[in-house]
Amino acid sequence: MAKSAVQEFTKGLWAEIPPFRLVLGLCPVLAVTKGVETGIFMGIATTFVLVCSNVIVSLLRKVIPKGVRIACFIVVIATFVTVAELLMQAFAYSVFMKLGIFMPLIVVNCIILGRAEALASKKGVGVSFADGLGMGIGFTLSLFALASIREIIGNGTFYEIPVFGESFQPFTFMIEAPGAFVSLGLMLCIMNLLGKK
Amino acid sequence: MNLKGFRPLKKTFQMQKVMLRVCYALIPLVCISIYLFGLRSLALILVTAVFGIVTEALFTFRRDKPITSAVFVTCLIYSLSLPPTLPLWMAIIGIVVGVAMGKMVFGGFGQNVFNPAMVGRCFIYITFPIEMTNRWIEPFWGGVGGLSAWSAPVDAITRATPMMDLAAGLSVSLQKLFVGNVPGSLGETSAFLVLLGGAYIIYKKAAPWRLATSCLLGGVILSSIFYGMGFSGMPSPISTLLSGSFLFGAAFVATEPISGAKTKSGQWIYGFMIGALTVTLRGFSNFSEGIMFSVLLMNSFVPILDRTVRQVQASKKAA
Repeated sequence: MAKSAVQEFTKGLWAEIPPFRLVLGLCPVLAVTKGVETGIFMGIATTFVLVCSNVIVSLLRKVIPKGVRIACFIVVIATFVTVAELLMQAFAYSVFMKLGIFMPLIVVNCIILGRAEALASKKGVGVSFADGLGMGIGFTLSLFALASIREIIGNGTFYEIPVFGESFQPFTFMIEAPGAFVSLGLMLCIMNLLGKK
Repeated sequence: MNLKGFRPLKKTFQMQKVMLRVCYALIPLVCISIYLFGLRSLALILVTAVFGIVTEALFTFRRDKPITSAVFVTCLIYSLSLPPTLPLWMAIIGIVVGVAMGKMVFGGFGQNVFNPAMVGRCFIYITFPIEMTNRWIEPFWGGVGGLSAWSAPVDAITRATPMMDLAAGLSVSLQKLFVGNVPGSLGETSAFLVLLGGAYIIYKKAAPWRLATSCLLGGVILSSIFYGMGFSGMPSPISTLLSGSFLFGAAFVATEPISGAKTKSGQWIYGFMIGALTVTLRGFSNFSEGIMFSVLLMNSFVPILDRTVRQVQASKKAA
């Protein structure tokens, strides 16, 4: 049990890191990685929802009828998204405004539903918790990596602090929408090269 | 572009007659761009070519395949579509992106969905809009022209291109537009030489004539309609044709056989839409030139166009 929980945790960090290996949850990956700040907060919010929903779904796995399980999962997830939304409004209002519609859209993030369906509805609470945490941290790391690349190249800043001199010419393309697709594609390419043994 | 020098390395370079002919057709444009804008344009073209070829080599040599001569055409068309004052490093970024992302990631020669030269240009157009659209210089004219100078003085106030003048409602000498004595991108200014090159590749069947013709038709018809309806900032069809890179695009960009439509009717629609979209973008968008966007847009419609045309033909035969 203990060993498998550790495994569930670590696989989310590398072997099955959500956007790059599972290629799930791409909407926030593309939309909120304009800047490091929004990327990190999105990652934290998703991790929170993922961990909580995994635990609750795992606890309720014997109560939820098979036929309506997806609807039940969504209700659980939506509850925690609302919690996360209210928390962020209370404590990080400026970031909440920047995230905009993508905050409530965590509900339909396929990683969360995917983990609930594939793992939490079948396994114990401990394993589900570890899986949610691992996946969440992996997701946050991916967002952070992608957002860093895009913000540094596209805007010449990191966490809104300039990193280059005055003469630096930002590559506006990278913070535009097509830049998100291109940089995500390049990241997938790098991950595949690294994973190829 | 003396390509004879490459002959001994037959395994490294794959010669494609069609592509070489396009290169020959572009040589007069290279010459006039040097004459008009100074030796800097030669440097721009050479640097672009070197980096474009190296990028392609990085991909093809991994798979033991030769560099195709299509990359020369890509580099030439790309560099001739740049403004003469563009910093060299920006040109390098554009061609690397164009060849790598526009062509090699799709599988190399023959597989590219989009015109690689336009992908590269589009990338730097969005990334460095000021350098790409706002730094035009008055060309040299008379005597040895720009052959003895590095570049026209850039510090002078940037000139408006004929396209901007036309959009502002000023009149532009058609004779100047025809000869090429106007500010603009390296290869687009001289309508005469573009027509000459275009006629050569079509005569030699290096480019499908339907694409070029339908593109011109689309542009002329739509701009006549707009002109007739009296929209402000909409120049007469003849000025539309001669100004900017419309002819250059119709002759060399829209006719790229790989990313263009393959079926006959598909080619007519594809070219016509490029011409029409270009005129529309020029007249009603924030961009002064539209041929690049319209070619890229229509590139993405090619598969569905060709498919539909084939389906319609098949159902006609069956009936």
